[in-house]
Amino acid sequence: MRKIVVPGEIISDRPLRMEGSIIEDGKTCSTVMGVFDDEKGTLISLEGLWYPRPGEKVIGIIDEAKLNTYTVNLQAPYKGIIISKYTEDIMANGDIVEAIVKDVDKTGMAVLARARRLGGGKVVYIKPSKIPRILGKGNTMINQISDATKSSIEVGMNGLIWVKGGRIDLVLEALVKIQEEAHISGLTERVGSMLKEKTQ
Amino acid sequence: MDKVELMIDGKRIDGRTADQLRPISIVANPIRNAAGSAYIEWGANKIFAAVYGPKEALPKHTSDPEKAVIKCRYTMAPFSSVEEHGKPGMNRRAIEISKVTAEVFENVILLNKFPGSEIDIYIEVMQSDGGTRAAGITCAAVALAASGIPMRDLPYAVSAGKVGDTVILDLNKIEDNYSDADVPVAICPRKKEVSLLQMDGNLTKDEFDTALNMIINSGSYISQLQIDALKKPYEKIEERYL
Repeated sequence: MRKIVVPGEIISDRPLRMEGSIIEDGKTCSTVMGVFDDEKGTLISLEGLWYPRPGEKVIGIIDEAKLNTYTVNLQAPYKGIIISKYTEDIMANGDIVEAIVKDVDKTGMAVLARARRLGGGKVVYIKPSKIPRILGKGNTMINQISDATKSSIEVGMNGLIWVKGGRIDLVLEALVKIQEEAHISGLTERVGSMLKEKTQ
Repeated sequence: MDKVELMIDGKRIDGRTADQLRPISIVANPIRNAAGSAYIEWGANKIFAAVYGPKEALPKHTSDPEKAVIKCRYTMAPFSSVEEHGKPGMNRRAIEISKVTAEVFENVILLNKFPGSEIDIYIEVMQSDGGTRAAGITCAAVALAASGIPMRDLPYAVSAGKVGDTVILDLNKIEDNYSDADVPVAICPRKKEVSLLQMDGNLTKDEFDTALNMIINSGSYISQLQIDALKKPYEKIEERYL
């Protein structure tokens, strides 16, 4: 059964290794607000922060262009860094970039690779804990939105989403709906019917 | 100063019994720009708490490469009180309360997850009526949980005190000023760990035990209010589809 848990709540009498939980005295205890499913043994946080992990795609905004590096604002506790010689694009302060996290150093800073400048468009910030829901299983949700609105959308795991062209207003409406209702099942159908209604 | 009669026939000046709390209500996330926030009405106390971060610790020398640092700022609004407490800005009392509040949360937040960063906790007292540090900690705990910062526990705080020979719970402003003792305590409810204990005045050992028991007994009620406040926004959306 699914239930909403709060920090400090004992969620299982057995030690379970899950993200967002700690094990104390052989019991599992939640450290975040989240939805715990005791059949699957999963804890999905409702509110949360993003920690960079190698291989994840991120969207960032160039904070500072230095001599051989760019520092990137990722709307996270730590900044990202792009080494100029590994990117072909020349970037300036305020440019929107898409990149892959290559490595995370000891201080938590994300070293980014395969950086690409995104021209034009708009950037929106969605809670990072809702990003997996925005992508959907096998990217179904985001493909559905971009098909219906004819917009090109790039989703960063850090919570920043870049949208260009098409019905941007409709994209934003869908994203906010997903952010609000992420913890209730049957979301893809609801968003689908909303988009269908609005595009006709 | 004349002695004020604070207990008459087992009832206090506001009609409560010795171990009765004032009415409490908590709202989670009233402030949009903060990472997490909360608003509490505890009797006549009206307090906002907001949490920002974790973010890069500035100035750089305050940062710790091993763990996050907590910066807490407790202030009373100039209009919050009729007396000297309502001076704007940080005074001796505000600096002390900021320090003890930060220490409560240092024991609760998983600080080693964010090396080199800082977490800002702001507690603003809009209207004060005694026991604001306890109410502020209770409120800030909700704000931290709402922001998604990982915590071991959800602490709450209450004050106890003594009037004549009677130990009383949750002192208001008048009781606070004229009572014989005031003991604010913060508790982590899961293991019943004490993370803040201050004592103004004197209590005997037995009286202290009574006070601590009263505080721990009142805890389940306050904790439930905190949990309800956190869950409410999600349940409201869920109801729409049931």
